[in-house]
Amino acid sequence: MGAISKPQSGPATEDKSTNSYISGQEFKKLVEAGTEWLKTNQQTVNSLNVFPVPDGDTGTNMLLTMQAAYNEISTSGDENIGKIAYKVAQGALMGARGNSGVILSQLWRGFSRALDNLETMDSALLVKAMNEAKSTAYKGVVRPVEGTILTVAKDVAAGVEEKAKSTSDLVEILETMVSIADESVSHTPELLPILKQAGVVDSGGKGLFYILEGMLRYIKGQSLETQTANVQPLSALAKFDETMEEIEEGQDYEVVIDFRPHQPLDLDHFYSHLSTIGTSIQLGEGDGMYRLHIHVPEENLHEPVKLIRSMGVFLKETTENLRAQMADVEKAQKPKIALAPVQPDHIAVVAVSPGIGISRIFASLGANAIVEGGQTMNPSTEEILQAFENLPTDKIIILPNNKNIILAAQTASTVTVKKVKVIPCKSVPQGLSAILRFNPEGDLDEIYQEMQEAIQEVETGEITIATRSVDINGVHVSQGQVIALHNGTLIAASESLEEACLQLLKTANTQDRERITLFYGSNISRQEVDQIVDQIRETYPSHEIELHEGGQPYYQFIIAIE
Amino acid sequence: MTEGYKNPLGNIFVSHRAIATVACQTAMQSYGVVGLAAKNFAEGIAQVLVKDPTLGVDIQFVDNAIKIDLYVILEYGVRITSVSDSVADQVRYQVEKTFGLPVSQVNIHVRGLRVSNVD
Repeated sequence: MGAISKPQSGPATEDKSTNSYISGQEFKKLVEAGTEWLKTNQQTVNSLNVFPVPDGDTGTNMLLTMQAAYNEISTSGDENIGKIAYKVAQGALMGARGNSGVILSQLWRGFSRALDNLETMDSALLVKAMNEAKSTAYKGVVRPVEGTILTVAKDVAAGVEEKAKSTSDLVEILETMVSIADESVSHTPELLPILKQAGVVDSGGKGLFYILEGMLRYIKGQSLETQTANVQPLSALAKFDETMEEIEEGQDYEVVIDFRPHQPLDLDHFYSHLSTIGTSIQLGEGDGMYRLHIHVPEENLHEPVKLIRSMGVFLKETTENLRAQMADVEKAQKPKIALAPVQPDHIAVVAVSPGIGISRIFASLGANAIVEGGQTMNPSTEEILQAFENLPTDKIIILPNNKNIILAAQTASTVTVKKVKVIPCKSVPQGLSAILRFNPEGDLDEIYQEMQEAIQEVETGEITIATRSVDINGVHVSQGQVIALHNGTLIAASESLEEACLQLLKTANTQDRERITLFYGSNISRQEVDQIVDQIRETYPSHEIELHEGGQPYYQFIIAIE
Repeated sequence: MTEGYKNPLGNIFVSHRAIATVACQTAMQSYGVVGLAAKNFAEGIAQVLVKDPTLGVDIQFVDNAIKIDLYVILEYGVRITSVSDSVADQVRYQVEKTFGLPVSQVNIHVRGLRVSNVD
């Protein structure tokens, strides 16, 4: 067997003549190493994404593809490299995720076809396999875009062919493959303008490079777990965070430090020290100044600063709370709702809504602004003020839709120069029945009067789960029971949602009403909802029953009886 | 047919064909797509790659948003779901970026597979 099977042997130089072929099991270890190394560098690859499309996490997609490929062979003891490669290709195909993952699976497919059932692979076969991999991958697209993973695969295949003319040593050839891949990746911005604009190299190509480099690092006995020290130009650093989708464990703060080291940096030592402190480490350099970028957990917040001060001149530090940032991002990404446009001099309505479904309903009924908020997340006066302050009219009606928010709304009405009326609606159904009377062209006082009357015409039911045990209004409630509130008053506690709904409707003045509208919350399945609604339809056959998605938290149902 | 939106000076109209062209060019650059099939041919001859690729794209306007149907031929051996997902993503991104009109749906109809290599 070749020196490939001895990862601990250090740089594999002792006996080159034995590196002329590779078996199935050795190949399996290389695939594992490539996968492992890609995993270590996953975030780096993700950060290179330029298209803001959901498919964008190239590193993750390629990793999942490689993991699916490796899973196919992880327990296989086959010595036949052809069979192992075939399984890798099958696994990659089944697990292909995203564009780069699909291309990667095609590379494997071509690669394995060339090794068809052969026991071992030598340099001539490797040349054939790489060429087959390249041509198979290119067949998958009509107009190949150059400057992508395809280009890198093409360059590597050509490089292997060239190198194999002078040596049959597979380790030497792999070294060449890695260095060619590296160079090819660095040229991708020249081929693809969009990469150049974004100041990054191609992510898929970089991923392929890491897979190959992982194989080489394994042979050389280098660690696959710690990122290598790579210093990028400062301009590339800025791109790093934009692609963050979620925060992993231990990424509470982002710390960025500019510094000038006293002595030339020992990068590997520096990196290994940093990796004990945090993750997502990036280092940029320009004009002798370095910028360190690292994500650290709360307890290590001050560690980077301590470390840097011990080794150089400290220039500047910025710290950002990632958790808070992500919360903002999530807020901004909430689905957009088509609000009614405001005509100058018309009346505008601002509605406070506890859930996305209810927001949509308010918007469809003519609300011009929505403020998020409800029982446990009362919006501040400031938030309500912001919602209408910039509307191009000075006549405003606010629907607080919760008794805890009426006060904030009234305060908002006193601190603005606009004429603001607050409808004292204590629930969503009241707010909805008020907005039905709304007419943007009417007289503010008249409309206000009408809307205020409308809220008397509806009864509100709310169904939720008791958070503690209590005795109110002669009703005994145990924690965890379903409770029903009628116009804000607790009237029943029961074991099932269905029973609570029916008891609520019994209490309500149903014989004088003709319509029951249910808004179901975010904490109940559609199936459960349907069952309960069917039951209600049976019990109240002469009433009109309507069902809408409310999307509110905590309350399984908000019910309007009118 | 045209659809449009307003700017302060007047209206901007965009024809379905213009949108179809962008969608089709993007699809053809997507990995795994080797051609588009005519949308209204009988099933039996749908495999034929069409010369004017916009014939493999159907554009509709529903509620002020663009709905795109793409009739594609994929390369045999790719994972169909992954390829379809990325085609849909890229077409949507490119059309929205180019025209500034929202895309509500991109439906991918896989009309056939081209076999270049048999495994």
